[in-house]
Amino acid sequence: MFDFLDVSTRMTLIPALPLAAALVTALLGRSFLREHSHWPTVVGLALSFIVSLSLLFEVRELAGQAHAPHETPARATVHPASFQQAEPAKPAVGVEIVHALWNWATIDGAIDTPSRALPANGDATLPAALPFKIDISLRSDPLTAIMLCMVTFIATLVAIYAAGYMHGDPGYWRFFSYVALFVFSMTMLVSVSNFLLLYVFWEAVGVCSYLLIGFWFEKPEAAAAGKKAFLVNRVGDFGFALGLFLIWTTYGTLNYHDADGIAGVFGQARLTNTADPYVGGGLGLAICLLLMLGACGKSAQFPLHVWLPDAMEGPTPVSALIHAATMVTAGVYMVTRCTPLFLASLQEPFDYGGVEISAPTIVAIIGGFTALLAGLIGLTQTDLKRVLAYSTVSQLGYMFLGLGAATLAGVTSGMFHLFTHAFFKALLFLGAGSVMHSMGHVIDMRYFSGLRRIMPITHVTFLIGSLALAGIIPFAGFYSKDAILSALHARTGEGGTGLIYSVLYVTAIVTAGMTAFYTFRAFFMTFYGEERIPHEAGHHAHESPWPMTLPLVILAIAAFGVGRWCEMDHWFAHLLEQTPSLAYISQKHLPIDLRGPFGQFNIEIAALSSLVALAGIALAAFLYLGDRREVDVISRLLRPFYNASLHKFWWDEIYTVLVVWPTKALAAVSYLFDRVIIDGLVNLCGYIPRKLGGVLRSLQTGLVQFYALAMAMALAVLLLTLIWPGT
Amino acid sequence: MYCAIWFALTLAGTAGLFMFQGAQFLGVATIVVYAGAILVTMLFVLMLAQPQGLSTYDRVSWEPLLGAGVGGLLVGLLTHLLRSSLATADAGFAAAKPMTENAVLVNEHVAGLGAQLFSKHLIAVEAGGSLLLVAVVAAVAITSQGVPKRQGGRYE
Amino acid sequence: MNETTLLLNYLVVGALLFAIGLVGFVTRRNLIVMFLAAEMMLQGVSLSLVAWGRYHGDWGGQMLVIFIITVAACEAAVALAMILMMFQRSGKLDIAFWQQERESNLPAFVDQELPAEPEESKHWPTLTPAGREPRFDQEEVVHRTHV
Repeated sequence: MFDFLDVSTRMTLIPALPLAAALVTALLGRSFLREHSHWPTVVGLALSFIVSLSLLFEVRELAGQAHAPHETPARATVHPASFQQAEPAKPAVGVEIVHALWNWATIDGAIDTPSRALPANGDATLPAALPFKIDISLRSDPLTAIMLCMVTFIATLVAIYAAGYMHGDPGYWRFFSYVALFVFSMTMLVSVSNFLLLYVFWEAVGVCSYLLIGFWFEKPEAAAAGKKAFLVNRVGDFGFALGLFLIWTTYGTLNYHDADGIAGVFGQARLTNTADPYVGGGLGLAICLLLMLGACGKSAQFPLHVWLPDAMEGPTPVSALIHAATMVTAGVYMVTRCTPLFLASLQEPFDYGGVEISAPTIVAIIGGFTALLAGLIGLTQTDLKRVLAYSTVSQLGYMFLGLGAATLAGVTSGMFHLFTHAFFKALLFLGAGSVMHSMGHVIDMRYFSGLRRIMPITHVTFLIGSLALAGIIPFAGFYSKDAILSALHARTGEGGTGLIYSVLYVTAIVTAGMTAFYTFRAFFMTFYGEERIPHEAGHHAHESPWPMTLPLVILAIAAFGVGRWCEMDHWFAHLLEQTPSLAYISQKHLPIDLRGPFGQFNIEIAALSSLVALAGIALAAFLYLGDRREVDVISRLLRPFYNASLHKFWWDEIYTVLVVWPTKALAAVSYLFDRVIIDGLVNLCGYIPRKLGGVLRSLQTGLVQFYALAMAMALAVLLLTLIWPGT
Repeated sequence: MYCAIWFALTLAGTAGLFMFQGAQFLGVATIVVYAGAILVTMLFVLMLAQPQGLSTYDRVSWEPLLGAGVGGLLVGLLTHLLRSSLATADAGFAAAKPMTENAVLVNEHVAGLGAQLFSKHLIAVEAGGSLLLVAVVAAVAITSQGVPKRQGGRYE
Repeated sequence: MNETTLLLNYLVVGALLFAIGLVGFVTRRNLIVMFLAAEMMLQGVSLSLVAWGRYHGDWGGQMLVIFIITVAACEAAVALAMILMMFQRSGKLDIAFWQQERESNLPAFVDQELPAEPEESKHWPTLTPAGREPRFDQEEVVHRTHV
């Protein structure tokens, strides 16, 4: 379909449609569109989704050709705008389509050619100084195409949902403008083929997140939460920027693809280079860890996880779109894209006093720790959205666990979990929003219960989402979680590193159990028990209107089926493997057999994870169905643990002391400095002429004789000065 | 009151000094114009504006020490300056202008003066005349404004 | 006595006159006396001018003195008229009265101490009375300040 539009036009349309929708809504929303402000956004996003689907088919076709037996040389890289062709003799690594829009900046001779820079054609030589050249170029490879489809699909559904949820809000047009702007930024983030542009749109999604979290900015908690999200993201972005600088100085280019005769960081020329294309050791570790810091900020991993629970102050559609499915996955996307960099660190670990540190291990440790931490906190939270927020953090930790396994299976399983998680987490958030809408914006689970008869559709869809999150077969979450666990298990048992992975594997299993427990705790607390409705609900306590329930139903179907669907001949994994960054793994000869079997249905792992999940559900049912007496007993017995979990392990307080107070002190000092010294200097400049004037003014006494005397004295002084040197 | 009398004596001395310099016309003019006209006018004003005895402001000076000091300083400086500059020039001017060849010291003094006045300084003469006229008019104008009526009268 | 010495002496006298006039102008507060002192300054200058004129054999010095006298006459007329006016407005010939032109925040010059009035024995000449004495106040006779 859409054959009348060629690929480059389609690639450009996908971000352009949301941008156009954002502009139209921003300009016309307040005055003209008002209650109909959702139309440009919904239509734009829906069209963008359809175009993304067609792009996915295009890429899939390309990948199918590439995967065919290699009698004919594969068309690996297609540049529709240029006349370059890939080298026919060399077998290609993955499929990609790159389309350059325009040149943004060029500075010639910006850097002396680093040692790791490679020419795009194997035998050419590089000039002595490389230019700093940034082209706005969009790429389309399996990773991008999959992410685009997911982002636009969920964004469309969220926009339809928000048309019902935000009905009557005074900032209605503003909301849809921001959402469209966000989708533009996110689609550009996954489409650009350049690290600098990635950073630009990284920041752009951060800005949109800030705007949307603080959407109800008159509410001080919302404004503070927006600020917190942005500032914590900033810390991560700082690390990301430093990583960018290192990449620039190490590889001489910031492009992913080969351009202008210089091999891109993930370009064909570098990926097919057999001799040591990526830097390892300390520098490689530094690059990877700095990039990981950026991912931690964006994807709310420890220690920068504190902003995500507070971000629940924003409207629920925002939480569903940004903080479940799209923005927080940007970190995972970035790490997946940079897989070759991480692998290089794995091959040449950094030797620190005899201990070999490699970046993927650290990624896995961060992910595992975050998953466990968030899971522990989520056990006791009473705010439904906060439970879901912590579960998002935990699941993101899972994704990083998968990425940290550094096998092909691990990376693809991490992305697979990202894909499925988007669906069921968005479903859960939208369900929570539906509950919140009926309960008059009360979301504390202690104040309502027994809603299953009032809101049947929400009840059923929420159940489907919870089952998917818990990882029960045949729901979506089962397949992806199982894939991650298999990948982790494959890395256990090889000495020191293997021990770490064993610990992480156990952590993952425990976290799976906790996930199931707290998810169903929330489910039972909300929908079961006696019917209690808070008085704020008023007449709202009924099922939500169709703009809200329709997306719930669609997402429920997706949450149910998408796992099974992707696993049919493993088309998802095979498609993803054709991404150049990932195809690299399968073609390199690496000491560790990273081409592990993917999707091999390891029955023990599947059984173990299912058992743990069912145990969690059973425990939740035991405690929360019925009269819930046992909960009080247990919470009293484990009072210290309960408190620690309830207070988020006091991480916010720790950060307040460590970070906020010194910053405030510094701000106070700077303020004093500004007031006293800078302003003092300026005031002094005004003060001195006044004083001088005052002195001179005292000469005007009004006494005639004083004037005459002054003249005489002046004359005397003059004569003195004339005579004095002569004597 | 007494000041005016002493001043008249000063004028007489100055006139004598003019005579010594061979400026006879000026000497006479000083007596006639200065002492005769200006001083008499002053005496008239003194009579009209007579204070009662020695009032405070006649007895108390304003910064007498400073004034006297500056005056003395000026005199000393000027003298020193004159002596030093004239002493150096003295050698060159010793035989410059004997008394007999001085253009100024002629017998027809007034004629020479008149010749100079009306040839080289004609415009200045005319201007001086108009200035005198204006001064007369001004004096009349100032005094014709009248006295603002006060309750206490002229003498407090 | 050569020319130079003559010149020097005259110039010194001129300078003395000028300086005395300056001191008088600065120190005295009576308006009329101040004016007299200014005239004396002019005299000193005239003397110097005449001396220089004779020294150089130039008529210019005497020319200028003529004009000085002229201008002094004008100035005297105007100044005395003004002094009269000022006296009629203020009732005294004190220049310290006319301080309004000063800056507003400076203190006015006021007399700190007034020297004591010299005790004048107010002895007025008296005539032996002939005929009936007029009725008069004894105190007033003693404390009168003028006849």
